[in-house]
Amino acid sequence: MSNTSSDTTGDESLITTEVETGSTQRTPARTAVAARDLNVYYGDEQAIDDVTIEIPEKRVTALIGPSGCGKSTFLRCINRMNDMIEVCRVEGDVEFGGKNVYDDDVDPVALRRKIGMVFQKPNPFPKSIRDNVAYGLKIQGYDGDVDERVEESLKAAALYEEVKDQLDSSGLDLSGGQQQRLCIARAIAPDPEVVLMDEPTSALDPVAASKIEDLIDDLAEQYTVIIVTHNMQQAARISDRTAVFLTGGRLVEYDDTPKIFEDPEEQRVEDYITGKFG
Amino acid sequence: MATDNANAGGFGEVSRVRGIVFEYLSFGASVFGLVALGVLLVYVSIDAFDLANASPEWLLTYFLTLVVPFLAFCLYSANDSEVTRRALAALGGGLVAVAALFTAIEAVVAPIPRLNWQLAYLFVVAAPVAAYLAYVGSRGRVAAVGFGLLGRLVGGAAIGLAVGTLFLVFDELVWFLAYTFGVVPAAALYAYGRWRAADRAATAAIPVGLVGLVTAVFLRRVVTVYPSDLVIYLWTIAIPVAAVGAFLVVDRSGRTVGIVVAGLPLTVATAGGFLAAGAGLSAPTVLLVLVLAGVPTAVYVSRVIEVGDGIVGLGLPILLAAGVAAGALIVEAWGVPAPDPWLDLGYVTEAPSRTPEEAGLYPAIVGSVIIIALVAVLSFVLGVGTSVFLEEYTPESGVLGSLTRLLQINIANLAAIPSVVYGLLGLGLFANLLGFGFGTAVTVALTLSLLILPITIISAQEAIRSVPDDLRRGSDAMGATRWQTTKNVVLPEAMPGIFTGTILALGRAIGETAPLIMVGAATTVFSAPSSLFSRFSAMPMQIYAWANFPQADFRYGVVAAGVITLLVILIGMNGTAILLRNRAERGN
Repeated sequence: MSNTSSDTTGDESLITTEVETGSTQRTPARTAVAARDLNVYYGDEQAIDDVTIEIPEKRVTALIGPSGCGKSTFLRCINRMNDMIEVCRVEGDVEFGGKNVYDDDVDPVALRRKIGMVFQKPNPFPKSIRDNVAYGLKIQGYDGDVDERVEESLKAAALYEEVKDQLDSSGLDLSGGQQQRLCIARAIAPDPEVVLMDEPTSALDPVAASKIEDLIDDLAEQYTVIIVTHNMQQAARISDRTAVFLTGGRLVEYDDTPKIFEDPEEQRVEDYITGKFG
Repeated sequence: MATDNANAGGFGEVSRVRGIVFEYLSFGASVFGLVALGVLLVYVSIDAFDLANASPEWLLTYFLTLVVPFLAFCLYSANDSEVTRRALAALGGGLVAVAALFTAIEAVVAPIPRLNWQLAYLFVVAAPVAAYLAYVGSRGRVAAVGFGLLGRLVGGAAIGLAVGTLFLVFDELVWFLAYTFGVVPAAALYAYGRWRAADRAATAAIPVGLVGLVTAVFLRRVVTVYPSDLVIYLWTIAIPVAAVGAFLVVDRSGRTVGIVVAGLPLTVATAGGFLAAGAGLSAPTVLLVLVLAGVPTAVYVSRVIEVGDGIVGLGLPILLAAGVAAGALIVEAWGVPAPDPWLDLGYVTEAPSRTPEEAGLYPAIVGSVIIIALVAVLSFVLGVGTSVFLEEYTPESGVLGSLTRLLQINIANLAAIPSVVYGLLGLGLFANLLGFGFGTAVTVALTLSLLILPITIISAQEAIRSVPDDLRRGSDAMGATRWQTTKNVVLPEAMPGIFTGTILALGRAIGETAPLIMVGAATTVFSAPSSLFSRFSAMPMQIYAWANFPQADFRYGVVAAGVITLLVILIGMNGTAILLRNRAERGN
C-alpha cells in the first residue's frame, strides 16, 4: 500500500502551454493529477461523463459550473472519498503520482494521507486547536516534533497569530472563518501533495472569504490546489487554470483562467460566465 | 398597520387554553409524584432510624447540630453551583470510596482464589488470538494470519503459564519478594529511561522485572526471615499508592505539594498502623484503609485548591460528620434517652441474623457492589462494542444490510423481554452449560449484563448516530482508518450520551430481583463473598427475604433500613457515573 504514493511525480508529461497568469515567470508545470475517460455513476444516474483532464502541479485549478454538474463528485474521485457512498460507481482512470488511484493495490487510506481536503462547512473536531492540527500527524504516527509542525501549519494557514495563546482551547470556539483556516491547517499539517477544497468559502462572510482566498494563493507555492467554487469572481481572482463543468457532468472547457473568462471557445461557457444561464 | 382580514378590529387574544391546561396538568402531576415519593421516604426514614420513639430533646439536639447547619449550607451554596458541585462530589465520592474500600479490604484479607486454568486460557490465549485473527483478517493478509497466529499462540501460552504459576505460588511473601526484586527495579529502570531519554534502560526494564520475578519465586524457598505484615504492606502497597498520588500532583502543582500529598496520608497511616498494632487491632488493615482513603482524598483536595472554585463545598461531609458527633456528645452529656435506630454502623458492617436487633446487611452490600461493578464493565464494553460495530462497520444495503436490520430489530425486541426470562437464560447458559455455578457473582453479573445490554446498545447507537457525519468525513479525508475515526472522533463525541444510557440501565440492574432468584442467588448469606465464584446475595434479595419474616420488627424496621441503604448506594453510584459523564462532556 505504501508503494503507491511513495514515488511522487516522476515521469509525467509536461503541460505544453505556458500558464499565463500574473506570475508568468513560472516554469511549465508538471501534471499532478490527471483523469482519463472518467465516468461516475450514482446508481443509474451519470454524474460525470467522460472527463479527461490534466491538472498542473503547484498551481490553483478552479472547477466551476452550475449545481449538480459533477464538480464536487470529480473532486471526491481524486482522494476516493466517493468510496464511502455505496451506490457510487467509478469507471476510467484517475492518476496521481503516476499511478491510477483506482487500481486494486491502492489503499484509499494511504492515498488520502497524501491528499488534504477542506470541506464546504468548516468541520473542526471537538478537540483543542492543537489536537485538531496534530490529528493527521497522530494517525499517521508522525515521530518528529509535533508542536513545531502544528505551529508551522497554523502559520501557513495564517491563523497562528490569532490563536497562539489559546492552542489548548476548543477548535469550536473559533469564528467560522477561523474554523475554516483551522481546517486548512489540519489538512496541510501532514504535508500532503495536493489540497482539495470543496467550496471552502461558501459558508463564510466576505471578509473571512477574502482571507481564505489570500491564503490559497500562498498555498499554491507549496501545494497543488484544486478548488470547487460557485463564485465566478473568486475563480477568476485566485486560479491559474479553470475547468468549466456543465450539466450532465461534462467537462466543457478547460484552459488558463484569463482565457476562460475573457475569450472562451464555447458559447455555453460564455453564457454561463456572464450569467445568462446556470 | 393596515390589515384587511376579518379581525381588523385589533390584535385580540389567540386561544391558548389547551396548552395552559396541559402545562398545569403536567406541573400538578410532577408535584404530586415528588410529594408522594417524599412522603414515602419520610416514612421509611422514620422506621429506619426509629424516630417515632425519639424524645423531643433528642430531636431538638440533632435538629440544631445536623439539620440547621445543613440547611445553612444549602442556603449558602444555593447561588454558587460550583460549591454545590464540589459538595455533591465530595459526599458521593466519599460514599463510593468507602464502599470500594470495604470491598477491597474484603478481597485482600480473604484468601486469594486460585486462578481457574480454563479462565486463564480464555483470557490469555483464546481472546487475544480471536481478536488478532479478526483484526488481521479484516486487512486481508492471509499469510500474516498464519505466522501471527503461531507467534501469539506460543507467546500467549507462555504468558498464561507464567501467570498461572504466579497464582499457584501466590502468597503475600512471594509478592513481597517479587515486588522488591522485580517490580521496583523494573519501574526504576523504566522511569530512569524515560527521564534521561535512555531507551536502552527502558527496554531493559521488562527483562529485569522478569528475572526479578523468577528470583523472588526461588528466594521464597530459601529466605525464612521476613519483616512484619505491617512493613510488607507498607512497602508493597502503601508507598506505591502514595508515590502514584504524588506523581499525579507533581506535574501541576510542583514538588512541595507532591511531597505533602504523598507524605501526609502515608505518615498518618503508618502511625495509625503502629498504634493499631499496639491496641490489638489488625495493623495492616488500618494502614491500608488510611492510605487508600487518604491519598486519593489528598490528591482531590490539592486539585480543588489548585482550581480554586468551590473549596467550601468540600466542607459538607466534614460538616455532616461533625454534626453527628456533636449531637451524640450533647445527647450523651444531657442524658437524653436516644432512640435505637435500625440503620446503624452494625447494620452495614455485620451479617444477617435471626434477631432483628443484630441483623446486618453487610454481605448483601458487598455482593451488590461487586455485581454492579462487574455489570458496569461488562455491559459498557459489550454495549459500546456492539453499537460501534452496528453503526460504523456494517453496510447499509445488500444482504449484510438486511441482516444488520434484522439484528437491530431483535435487539430492540430483547429490551422488552421480562427479566424472569433472562433469569432462565442465565440459569441454563451460565450456571449449567458454562459451569459458573448457581448464584455466584459471575453468573449473576453475566445475567444482569445480558438483561441491560439491549438498553445500553440502543442508547449507545443513538449517541453514535448523533455524531455529525461532517466529522467522520473530515477524519476519513485525513487518511484515518475506520478504527482511527471511530476511536479518535466518534467515540469521544458520543461518550456523554453512551454514559447516560449506561447509567439508566445500571439503575435498573441494581434493583433487579427476579433474575437473581432464577439463577439461584441466595436470599441470605452470612459472610461477604470472598471470590467471584462464591455464593453471595444482593441487597434487593435480602430486603425481599426480610419482608417475608414473621416478626414485625423485620418487616418494618430492618426492611426500612435496607431500603435507605439501597437508595444511598444507588444515589452514590449514579452520582459518580454522572460526574464521569460531565467530565467527558467538559472534555469536549
